Amino acid sequence: MSLKDKLERWRRLEEEAREIRRREADWEFIEKQPPRIKAALKYYIENNDIRLSAKLAGLNIDEFRELLRKANIPVVL
Amino acid sequence: MSFNPFAIADTCLLIDWAYWRRRDVLFKLFNTVFIPEAVLREVRSEQTIEWVATSLAEGYLALITETSDVIELATRLVERTRLIPGLRGVDMPEAICLAIGKLRGYVVLTENRGALMAVDLLEELSSVTVWRSLEIIREVIKRGLINEEPEKIFKEYEVDTKHRFPRTDLEVVLHELKG
Repeated sequence: MSLKDKLERWRRLEEEAREIRRREADWEFIEKQPPRIKAALKYYIENNDIRLSAKLAGLNIDEFRELLRKANIPVVL
Repeated sequence: MSFNPFAIADTCLLIDWAYWRRRDVLFKLFNTVFIPEAVLREVRSEQTIEWVATSLAEGYLALITETSDVIELATRLVERTRLIPGLRGVDMPEAICLAIGKLRGYVVLTENRGALMAVDLLEELSSVTVWRSLEIIREVIKRGLINEEPEKIFKEYEVDTKHRFPRTDLEVVLHELKG
């Protein structure tokens, strides 16, 4: 499989994962959060970058994972 | 299939596994699961710390100090993953795990998409074995370390950790286990 094909496969997988995160997220919980936390959770849903999302939230990666659980946002992998 | 008795785990893997009711089965699969200092520094929650500390005390987990060759390779991997458009960049904690996987042959345990993509896309990492929870649990079941319905075990992991296995990948694994 060529590099281009592999990248396309990963792009499709990520799009599927994004849809699952959007669908399963507890949006009511997310909208009630302080602006920084809310922005970080939305960033994670769209971009699946837990380390950067944690930094946006001002949290450690482990603490941010706990927050994802509370927001019902699954890690899809 | 035989594989290295040693594994190296990244942060995302540890913080998910700490929530699974059968988490210690990991130590029946591997003699020792190493964690780099960079990963240990990221572990903060009570649930994860408690599991990591207990497992370190029992000798199932072991701390590994990054040597200069590991740091050099990891730094190069961080840079390389940012040179290919579409490839998700890896950060140092995951890059250190990948570097140790390559240099020491340890199985890399990760829930980081960037790390998985890097192994798939970078020729330099083609020899590295990288497993997500999906592959770890598959091996646990294949080796008879848990003798229950595979669907139940995967579902249980999803419920405990709020992880989701991609349906297509899960179906392939379930088919393999039933075959």
